[in-house]
Amino acid sequence: MNSYYAATLLVYAGVDIIACIALNLQFGISGIVNFSFIIFQAVGAYAAAVLSMPPDTANGGYQVYVGGFQLPFPLPWIGGALAGGLLAIPVGLVVLRKLRTDYQAIALLVLSVIANSVITNARPFLNGAAGIAQVPGPFSDQIDPLTQSYQLLYVGLTLPCVLLVWLVASRIVNSPYGRSLRAMRDHEVAASALGKNPVRMKMTIFIVGGIIGGLSGAILVGYIAVWAPSEWLYPETIILFAAVIVGGRANNVGAILGALLVPVGFEEVTRLIPGTIAGWVPPPNLIPAMQWVAIGLLIIGFLWFRPQGVRPEPRRVFEGSPDAEEVDRVRTA
Amino acid sequence: MDLYVAALGFGLISVSVIAIAAVGFTMQFGITNMINLSYGEVMMVSGYAAFYVNQAGVNIWVALIPGALVGAVLSFLLNRFLYAPFQRKGTNHIGMVIVSLAASLMIANLMLPIVGYYTSSYVVDQGPLLRANGLVLTTAQIAIIAVAVILMLAIHGLLRYTRLGKAMRATAANPTLARNCGIPTQRVIDVVWLITGALCGVAGVVAGMNSENFSVSSGAAYLIPIIAAAVLGGAGQPYGAMIGALIIGIVTELSAAAIAPEYKEVVAFGMLVLVMVLRPQGLLAKRGAMAAAG
Repeated sequence: MNSYYAATLLVYAGVDIIACIALNLQFGISGIVNFSFIIFQAVGAYAAAVLSMPPDTANGGYQVYVGGFQLPFPLPWIGGALAGGLLAIPVGLVVLRKLRTDYQAIALLVLSVIANSVITNARPFLNGAAGIAQVPGPFSDQIDPLTQSYQLLYVGLTLPCVLLVWLVASRIVNSPYGRSLRAMRDHEVAASALGKNPVRMKMTIFIVGGIIGGLSGAILVGYIAVWAPSEWLYPETIILFAAVIVGGRANNVGAILGALLVPVGFEEVTRLIPGTIAGWVPPPNLIPAMQWVAIGLLIIGFLWFRPQGVRPEPRRVFEGSPDAEEVDRVRTA
Repeated sequence: MDLYVAALGFGLISVSVIAIAAVGFTMQFGITNMINLSYGEVMMVSGYAAFYVNQAGVNIWVALIPGALVGAVLSFLLNRFLYAPFQRKGTNHIGMVIVSLAASLMIANLMLPIVGYYTSSYVVDQGPLLRANGLVLTTAQIAIIAVAVILMLAIHGLLRYTRLGKAMRATAANPTLARNCGIPTQRVIDVVWLITGALCGVAGVVAGMNSENFSVSSGAAYLIPIIAAAVLGGAGQPYGAMIGALIIGIVTELSAAAIAPEYKEVVAFGMLVLVMVLRPQGLLAKRGAMAAAG
């Protein structure tokens, strides 16, 4: 039982870390307030699900969905990532081109709510509110998913993805391109005056974030084997925002820390709350509701007391700067 | 054809509900520079306040008043103890949007254990049916439209013909200049939150009357057409919000008749996207924030 628990924890941690790194690239580094981040995870999960499942008539036809291609392992995950990237193109083209950042945020939030209600209502597409069940995980036809070795295998498959995402994100952040992104975030007009095309940069990072988000969804759905609209309601995005804000905006280490503290840590801490407190049994939904209140408090508290997060963005100073003293001061700090 | 005439009737009621809410939402943005995403949740708190008064045997039209009061007080407190301190601290626009979203999450989940997950509905005496050219409305529905018209006229009168309205418009246009001219902008903003909060409360109650039932999660669904109407009319423009509500309300109800009622919000969202792409400043181009129409 304990190794299952550890494996579950590790897979969830991997998924949340990947998602938080993607959101950090968009929100922390580039200043895109992607309130619909969760739909990119969702589309990745749905894509991976229908790519790996048999046609919907196979299991007695109790659920309906498009596709059902029964593709072997790496393809559903790649497909999930691609789906996230593909979804980012039309969304980005509509939202990122002309709008002010606060309008962008609202449009994306509304999109997230709407997308969920459309998938819920349009049952033939992805089985509506009930969602898709019995999604086969990678290699589940060769190894029984209920064994310990399979759990270990899944952790083994998740870990390289986390590393890959981390490497890609670090490369982006530390490259000249990453510098342009930060310049755009801090002062869009100045960045465009220097010849940087903000729309293009936003589109690129939006698609990159979409791909990573899609991958996180694909990994998650292979493990939990079900995916339904209730998994990706818009407040889920807010948890990830809380993670990035708490961990430290524009700092990938911070994003990982945030992922471990907020989505993973919170779930685990509330597990420790006893079923009865001094003979009083709390109503069944009280604890999840209070969890959300705590997430809200966490965001507001951090924005008030420590807006830069636990791990603030590292200050970067150009080494050839005439102000060498400043460089030294930052170095030693 | 009859279907569309009936849909037009529903559209008029939707217009009334959206207009009341959208004018409050857009005034918060125009005067205090705050995109308040917890607006839908404040509507629900007021709606439930009226629900409990209604359950105690009070007529729902009387319960409208405590609903409005709860909305006003809650909005005032939200601004006083949450938004205003953050704004004074210099939190940027996006930071404020995130704060209001966090507030909305907290309000909704504080409400859940109190009011429960199940849906509720008001006891409304619908009154006799009134018919005209295939348009069928109950007396209660006509009363909702009347409330909306009265409130819109009142807002028009307030902004156009009173010193307070003038002070509000001055604060919207340039808060620093307004303060230097001797306008107590702090107090003006407090009053704005009370008034818009009351509108929000009334909107919450009439939205509850207009739907068969409502639950805590209705807040997010109510907010979509409100945002669409406010953006369509030009964010921060009360008259724009009225026009926006008119268009969004009619079009969504007609589309519900033509396509399917589940996709009403999708149509509202589609219009929101169209406006954002084609005319991001809204229908009434900004001639100084909150400029009076004409």
